[in-house]
Amino acid sequence: MTVANISMAQNGKATTTKTTFSRETTVSISIQAESSIIWSLLTNAADYPRWNSTIIAIDGTIAAGEKIELKSTLDTTRTFKLKVLTFQPESLLVWGDSKGQRTYTLIKNDNGTITFTMTEKIGGLMFPMYAKYIPSFDEAFEQFASDLKTEAEKIMKTK
Amino acid sequence: MHSDILTSTFLEHNRQLKSFLLRITASAEDAEDIMQDTYIKAAEKISTFRAESSLKTWLFTIATNLAKDNLRAKRRWTEDVTDKGKAAALTDKIFFSEAMHIRMTSPQGAFEIKEHITFCFTCIAKSLPIEQQICVLLKEVYEFKVNEINEIVNTTEAMVKYYLHTGRAKLVQIFDGRCALINKEGICHQCTELNGIFNPKQNHQEELNKIEMAKQANNPDKEHLFDLRMQIVQGIDPFESSSAELQLHHYAHNTRVMENFLKKSEV
Repeated sequence: MTVANISMAQNGKATTTKTTFSRETTVSISIQAESSIIWSLLTNAADYPRWNSTIIAIDGTIAAGEKIELKSTLDTTRTFKLKVLTFQPESLLVWGDSKGQRTYTLIKNDNGTITFTMTEKIGGLMFPMYAKYIPSFDEAFEQFASDLKTEAEKIMKTK
Repeated sequence: MHSDILTSTFLEHNRQLKSFLLRITASAEDAEDIMQDTYIKAAEKISTFRAESSLKTWLFTIATNLAKDNLRAKRRWTEDVTDKGKAAALTDKIFFSEAMHIRMTSPQGAFEIKEHITFCFTCIAKSLPIEQQICVLLKEVYEFKVNEINEIVNTTEAMVKYYLHTGRAKLVQIFDGRCALINKEGICHQCTELNGIFNPKQNHQEELNKIEMAKQANNPDKEHLFDLRMQIVQGIDPFESSSAELQLHHYAHNTRVMENFLKKSEV
């Protein structure tokens, strides 16, 4: 993803770019919370359904090399079996399967906020055959980012 | 720092520390052992105390570190621990004969619904990850501030806030789903059922009317109901209360039940 894309999407609005063999959706949002809080929310599998309205369940442990099973509101009939591919605490998390990858990045800003970015790229040689069956991610991505911001900022206000 | 000050501070907070340790371990014996180890360690290390925190906070830090190494503290229970405890008790004739003996003979053998609410909170809080359990206890029961808790558990303020928020949210959710005192759909009536067994002549509705949390059961503000629950827990010393012996007997029972369950789960 380019710097231009990140800056375009920082308002919590998702953007999607399509090619013949792939599709990439990105959302980015500024969060007023410590990166450790955002990271903890992103890596506590069992806790997702409590704060994230787009996730029905995540089973497993979100840690380097681990396998997880994810059910989301995007397709309630399917369970996605994914592997955690990159796990750099408070910075970069990637999980995925043969068809796509989801990347989460946290960037610390000078003003103390964190820029959270989530990108999912799906594709491959067979992609044109099933592309029309995959729903748009835009709305769910925007909801995910909004839920994360709300929850992280609420935690920061804990007294 | 003079060791006399340590001893007097230790004695001043002795009851709080001991109840804190019971609530982490759910074992009276382990709480006693960790108390003793806390004093010994504090006496050994008193020359290193720099008064950057209060002596009370420092003592809780030592006790928490020792508790985190305790096997019973480390073991995580399940949310339905009270169901499992009940099922095991119903098939165990000894449990009720022992409990009834305590009820009839001990000066600390009374059964009170409030005390059982406290017992229930301790058992269910053991289903949280240990960091969440400790932070919730320190904040909600022992009224430490966030900046004191992060010293006690040796983490950042941000992480303490995370543990507090997620731990509390999880407990609110569990009690809302389970506790029939606050939710008509709740599946657990154990406190009123036991009240019927131990206090057969009492009208349990009258007893519930004495409990503010039960009186406000229809309040949709679940956070407020949780605060009321915490007020009950704060007000009861599990070693000194009028039903201490009976409740400690229940703790020992649930500990056995959960240890057996966890052992079977590992196989």
